[in-house]
This record gives sequence, structure tokens and C-alpha cells, in this order.
Amino acid sequence: MTLIHVPRPDVKSAMNPNRPVNALLKAQVQHLHAAERNLPLRHRTDIYINAIKTEGEAAEYIRQVTEAIHEAHEAAAIKRGRGIAIAAAEGLGDKGPIPSRGKKKSKGKRARKT
Amino acid sequence: MPPGLDNLRHIVVLMMENRSFDHMLGSLTAVDPRIDGVTDQLSNPDTTGALVKPQPLAQFQGQLDPDPDHHFPAVDLQIFGGDTSPTRVANMQGFVKSYFNQQQDVGHSQKIMYYFTEQQLPVLTTLALEFAVFNRWFASIPGPTICNRAFAHYGTSFGRVDMNLLYLNEPFKSIYDRLINAIPKHTAKLYYYDTTSSTMEITNLLENQPELFGTYPQFLTDCSTSHLPDYSFIEPNFNDHDSDSGEEVASDQHPDHNIQAGELFIASVYKAIKASPLWPNTALLVVYDEHGGVYDHVVPPACTPDQFTASANDTGTGQPFAFDRLGVRVPAILISPWIPKGTVVDGRVFDHASIPATITKFFLGDYSPRSPRETSADVFIEPNVAPVDPTRNLLSLAAMRDDCPDFDV
Repeated sequence: MTLIHVPRPDVKSAMNPNRPVNALLKAQVQHLHAAERNLPLRHRTDIYINAIKTEGEAAEYIRQVTEAIHEAHEAAAIKRGRGIAIAAAEGLGDKGPIPSRGKKKSKGKRARKT
Repeated sequence: MPPGLDNLRHIVVLMMENRSFDHMLGSLTAVDPRIDGVTDQLSNPDTTGALVKPQPLAQFQGQLDPDPDHHFPAVDLQIFGGDTSPTRVANMQGFVKSYFNQQQDVGHSQKIMYYFTEQQLPVLTTLALEFAVFNRWFASIPGPTICNRAFAHYGTSFGRVDMNLLYLNEPFKSIYDRLINAIPKHTAKLYYYDTTSSTMEITNLLENQPELFGTYPQFLTDCSTSHLPDYSFIEPNFNDHDSDSGEEVASDQHPDHNIQAGELFIASVYKAIKASPLWPNTALLVVYDEHGGVYDHVVPPACTPDQFTASANDTGTGQPFAFDRLGVRVPAILISPWIPKGTVVDGRVFDHASIPATITKFFLGDYSPRSPRETSADVFIEPNVAPVDPTRNLLSLAAMRDDCPDFDV
């Protein structure tokens, strides 16, 4: 079995977060910005994407929106889980689909009151 | 049935960024003449009319700055040499002219012809010589990243030749949707490097199905704990950034990112799979999304038209495009301990639509609907269904190799 040596890059010279953002990262920022517009307000960043000029700035925006998307889904899943738990407590359990948003809300309110 | 196919349970695709075949692997012709790389007969004219030959002078970073243009009109110039007549013939003579357009510097424009030596790229060249290297794997579109990567996920770019893709309500499902919704259910995961690099071209999947995504550290864990999904797609680090573990240098090899960082990343993916108990059951494809404006000598062939057409306005060339010609050739290497050392895949044409075509046929068999480009694309792994054509099956060894190389990463 041959062991091949893999040279490491010189991180100091290779790393340049101040490099002007390339077309690819610009497109990624724009795609994520479109996704961000669909997020609930509390999950949105306050970053103005037209002002993003460097790779480091793009990276920071990409991180924030990616994390926000995951957080928004996790929050929705928790909310959905509560709805299921409430339905189960009322004996609906796995007897049918989750009620529509309006009905779920009213059942939730009723359950909380008891 | 061939034991390589019988044992195969996991297919992993690693897609790097923006380098042509000749640029990365062209030097290997000198090592193995079956590999269709760089020869003395090749050249491109510069804007003074002088012929510029490919030279082994490529550098790891700082040379292809600015980023060579690889949007549709520029690639059209690179492939057709500036001929816009209706009877034009592709000749791969416009690379230097195209790069000149960006800086108006004759000397700088010649760097687009530079390629790496075998010794500069010990990871990629070792894998190419040790496993199966494809002589004819092309980008799916003569255009930029986003639409090309779309072919790897959907088998089409839905008529787009640019960077603006949103896939909601499109007629063809992603390969991930197909797998996770199949009966019996299959598993699939997209591993992006980390949240600061995130995913490149499939924001709609991230937005609507974030459960499909994992990070690269998760990939490493999934390898070591034998929890790889049936299909994995890995994205390198697309940007320089800081993280909890220190400075993260972009590893995608997109100009002007560091080539050695990409070599290290490819080696780490290979090593994680090879060290995994799943090594006998896994095939890894390393492929580049498009050529990034960098020289290659092989004329992209015509292909089955997609059912979409990009308008003259969208292409920017004054002519519509029916997705009936492939993009420029890129490096592609298939890795498995069941592949004979020194395999060169020749005489067959592949593009990124071959990725969902292969995954679909191998795991699901027949599936519909799929794009015309995907249904006509060749597969790089044969379905494990009798009779398997031995001339097409790359995982052909009767016994698993124990001489596969290791990298010190």
C-alpha cells in the first residue's frame, strides 16, 4: 500500500476573506436572500446584501441565513409537535390527519384552558 | 453477478469547482498515453495571432485572477473561437481571446493555457491513475456553475443557462426526492462543508427540506459509524472564513482559491471512506462542475436536446440554445476497491445528468418522469441486474483490491 504525501497550503497566504466576492458567491447570497424573505421576521438578518463586497462579508451572511433556515424549521417542528401532543391528549392521537390551522388553534386554546 | 456491484450499497459524489480536464489531468498523457490530455500539437491563438501552447506552469493560487469568464457568451467564444456564422464548427480556439477580454493583457491571457504537473497534484493524479478516469466527461452546459450543478441534482437546469435558478414547481424531482419518497424508502444526504459555506445551487431544497442536509463533520462521522446514506453528495468549502476550529481556507478550487486546499479536501473524503467499514460497499465519484473558462482541447459533442430552450436574450449570444451541446470537458474519477488499477474510460460520453441517471437506475430501476437529457445520459455504474455487460461494468474485479493508496491527511 502506497502512502502519498499531501502538501498543505500555506494558510496565511491562501486565506483572504477580503477577496472581492466572486460571481458564484454573489449568486449564493442572492439565492439565500430570496429564501430569507420567506422566513418569519424574527429569523431574518438585518444585512443589506447589496453592501456585501468581500468574501468574508458574504460568508457571514451565508452563515446567518443558513442557521436561520434551520432554526425556523426547528421552531416549526416544535410547534407541530405541540399540536400533535395536544391532539393526542384529546384522544385524537393517530386517528386522523392533523387538523387545519384554524381548528388546531381553537383546540389548542381549549386544551390550555383545562 | 459481479461482486463489486453485489457489494455496492453507497454512492458518494464530490463535486469540485471550475477546472478543466487538461488543466488538472492533462499532464497524465505523458504517464499513460490512453489518457487524452495535453500534447505538443495543441495551441490557441492570442489576440496578436501568435500561437500559445499549453504549458505546465499552472500555480496553486494567484494566477487566474480575475476569475476567467465562464458565462454562456464567453464559453461560446472559447468553444467556437469567435465564429458566429450559422455554419460554424467548434474548434476550442477561443480561450486566450476570451481571457484577453477581461484585462486586455496579452501576456496574462496566455495563462489560461497553463496546466498542472502530475507532481503538483498528488491526490487527483494518484486517484486518476489508480482507479477509473473518464476521458469524456463534460459539463452539462457551456455555461456557469449553478445551471451545471442543477444537472447533477435534477438531470436538467429547467431551461436556464445562468446563475438564477429557483426550482419550485418544476416538472422533474430532485434525485433526493426520488430516493426518500421511494418504496422501499432509500436514504440521501447533501453534505455541505459547514453553515458558513452552506450549499450552493439548491437553496430551494435547503429552504424546504433542510433535513436532507448535513455538514462535512457529519459525513466523517457517518463514514466511521457506518451510517452513510445510500446516496451522498458532498460540497467543498466555497469561501474563506473563520470557524471555531480556526481559519477555514476555501477548498472548492474555484479560481482564485487555493488548489492545494482542494487536494487536501479530496484526500480527506477518500480517506474517510477508505477507513470506513463501508469501503467495500462504497463508490466515490470525484468530478468538477465546469471548466471555469480554463483551456481544454476536446470539442464538446452534440447531445440529446432537453425539452427546454434558453432564449437568445438569456444566452447573451443572439442565438437561442436548445441544450443540444455539452459544456467543456472536466476531470472525473470513479473510485472503488473493485475497480482495476489504471482504468481509462474511453469511447463513452458522460455529463452531470449521468449522476441522477446512475443513482436512479442503480437504486430505483425505472423512474418517470425524468428529463430527456437524463434519460439519454450514460451511467457510470451499471444497474445490478442480469445480464451485466462486462465491457461497461467498471467495478469489475473478482476480488477486492488491497493495494489502494493512502494519503497522509
